[in-house]
Parts: sequence; C-alpha cells; structure tokens
Amino acid sequence: MVSMLMVPFAFVLPIFSGDPAPSLLRSKAYSRTLDCERLSPQEGAERRPGQIIAAKPRGDFVERSVVVCAERLVRPGVRPPRDEAILAELDARSAEFAAATSGRPDLEDHTWLVEAYYPSAQVSAKISFAAKNALMGQGRSVSDRTPILAADDILVITRMAPKDAYPAACQRYFANGSLGDNDALLAVVSRDPQETMLHAGLCTSGVWTWLK
Amino acid sequence: MNLEGPTVSAANQSLSTIASVGVWLALVLACGSGCIVRVYQPMSGLHDPIVVDPRAPNFKDVRLTVHCVPGDYLTRSETSALCRKVGTLFENQGAVVRTVDSVGRADDELQDGEKRAIEPTTDLTLELRSRKVHKSNHPLSWALTIASFTALPGVSEYTFAQDVSIRDESGFLLVSDSLKGRVIRRFGFGPWLGNALADIAKEKGERITGGASDRDLSEDMYGQLSQMTFNAKMQWEVLRESAPVRSSEVP
Repeated sequence: MVSMLMVPFAFVLPIFSGDPAPSLLRSKAYSRTLDCERLSPQEGAERRPGQIIAAKPRGDFVERSVVVCAERLVRPGVRPPRDEAILAELDARSAEFAAATSGRPDLEDHTWLVEAYYPSAQVSAKISFAAKNALMGQGRSVSDRTPILAADDILVITRMAPKDAYPAACQRYFANGSLGDNDALLAVVSRDPQETMLHAGLCTSGVWTWLK
Repeated sequence: MNLEGPTVSAANQSLSTIASVGVWLALVLACGSGCIVRVYQPMSGLHDPIVVDPRAPNFKDVRLTVHCVPGDYLTRSETSALCRKVGTLFENQGAVVRTVDSVGRADDELQDGEKRAIEPTTDLTLELRSRKVHKSNHPLSWALTIASFTALPGVSEYTFAQDVSIRDESGFLLVSDSLKGRVIRRFGFGPWLGNALADIAKEKGERITGGASDRDLSEDMYGQLSQMTFNAKMQWEVLRESAPVRSSEVP
C-alpha cells in the first residue's frame, strides 16, 4: 500500500527536477523549442555564474554534468521552415561570404553592392543587411545602391537555368551601367526551394564567379 | 479480556502489506524491461528545420557513398544497421548508393587500396561517426526506485553525437555538422503506468511510450541527413559551375 501511495511521486519527481526532456507534463513540443548542450560544471559556472556551481578544486563527491538549454528566439512553426533555417545560420554564413571576398585583394578599393535573391522580400532584406554588415566588418566600402535590370532583361533571365542566369544578369548589370568598373556586387542566392543553405557569387566587370 | 483482537488485526495488516508488496513485485517482474520509459530529447542540430521531402527523388543519378565509422556509441552491428538504413534512405530518393562499413577501424586506419576504391566511383561521400558524449546513472534515483518498489523512477541517461561530414569526389568538405541528442531511461512500474495512462489523452505525436523515442529519433536523424546531403549536393553543383570560371580568372 505504501508503494501504491508513492505512485503520485513518480508523476511529481520529473516535473520538479528541471529536466528539459519530455516527461509526464513537459511536452515534446516544448523540448523541441530548446537548444541544449552538455557542459562540465566548470564550463557551466563560467556561462551561468550563480546558477551553476563549479566543481570544487579537489573534485566533487559525485561526478556532475550539466545540460544547459536556451529557448529559441522564435517558436517553431511561426516562420516557414526554410526562412527559419536560413535566418538561424545567417550571421555565420554572412561572415563566411565576407571572408571569402578577402581572397580578392584586387577589389579592395572597389565599392561593394549587395543583392539578395530570395523569394521572401522580408528575409531578402535581412540577408542583404547581414551581408553588408559582414563586408563592412572586413573593412570594405559598402553602398546601399541596388543594381537595376531592364524589364526585358528580367524577362529573359528569369527563364534561364540558374547556371546561366546569374552570369547573364552580371553581364547585363555591367552593360547597362548599373555596375561600374569600380563596383563589385556580392549576390547572396538561394538556388533551390528545398535547400537551407545560401550561396554567394561575385560580379565584377561583367564576370560572374561563385564564391561559396 | 480479549487479548487476541489487536494481535489478529496486526497480523492481518502485515499480511495485507506483504500481499500488496507481493502484487507490486509480481507486476514489476511481469513487465520486466517493459517498465522502462525511454525518452529522446534532441539537443542541437537534430531538430533544426527541414525543407527537403525525404520521400521525393532528390538525388536522381547522384552517386553517393555512405561511410559509417563505429565509435563508442554504436556497436559494430548497430553501425552496419545504420549504414544499411541510411543507404536505403538515399536509394529511395534516387541516389546510386554504395555503403562502406569500416567496422572496427577508424577512417585513418583504412588501407590505401580501400581509399582508392572508394574515391573514383562516387560524387558525394557521406561519413557518419557516432560517439557517446556523456553517460550517467543517477544513483539516488535508483536507491529511491528500490526503496519504493519501482514506484519512483530509476533514471539513467546518455548523450550522443552523430558527426556528419559530406565531401565531394576530390575530398573537398561540402557540409559538416554534429547532431546531438539525449536519451533518458526511466525504469519502474510507477513511471511506466503514469506515462501509459497520460499517453491515452495525448495526441499521437506527443506520446512517450510504445517506442515513440525510437520513431522520433529516426525521423529527426533521417530528415537532417537528407537535408544536409541535399545542401551538399547544391554546394557541389555550385563548385562544379565555378570551377572553369575560377581557373580562367584566378592567375
């Protein structure tokens, strides 16, 4: 009977333990809103001072380990999965693109323009902003100017395969004077609706090169 | 004076307690390993958004080598099983798959001949390495589970990492990531009963018992592998397109 009376504690224990794993009253959906990592008590104390106690200099009586979780900024399902995946990696990816441009010291004195090719205008603006920021971080001179194509050019280029479309657009930008001799265009591109990775191309003097 | 009354009552109470403990133990023995509630929690990477549909022919005519390297997380047979399942996953998506199972040996211990055999016949190489990040048995919980005749859960857990890297035919790294998750085992009739009863009221995707953790882990793992490989394929295509341009542009 005593053991039967203790059954409710089986419900209570996981709830109050603070364990982020799914349990009786903690849903799987909630657990999936968390990004977690396992740390040593020392690492945990450095990151969360006051919340996690570091191991004593001569060690603890028992071996301890900490699971530290942070809730995601945007709840899953609020944004489309593709946008969510792109934006989650945007900072790191932009830094990679900017770093890749450092392989072109001949473009140091150029003015850099950024164009994002992504279906959502809102996400496009964020991509463009992040890429400009990253380029400025590399000491590049960045302009807010946007290169323009004529309506006929757009009509032709949008019917081309991606392999041909970007070099063609680059040629047209240079030919119509949107991009000058001292301009470099960093184009950030999502090539396929099923991919969650952005690519970057460089357009200078009418010549297109994939950077990443 | 009735001296037998309280004695008989105490004896009955003892018998009743022994009987209830006996019933409880019988239930625990009856459910055996079924009294384990296995819970999976994605920690990082495994629950990232997926756009690609793993049922669609995403890798038509792509030659893919799946290379599984066993570690301290998966045994040899588990590594072989994983390799076969991942191979099937990509075959179903239209890829021409070859699985290389270097069981018992690390990648750098492969023979030169083997490496040469892998390289020329593939477009992409997907390498999977499993490792156990952490393992613990919570001793206090086990003491409590014994003391409570398994009404309270005895908890053990481990954290694993699945390191994924995808390279092109020349060995150039296209995509790499580490998918981390955690598996918690709660032993006891109490937690099992509690979760089983709670699952009745839950939606199917939220249920915990009945092998749900294995299903969830597989779904996450295969989804992420599909997405990463698709991203790698796109990156590979971009590199192939840029190769001739680069050679003519860069002195």
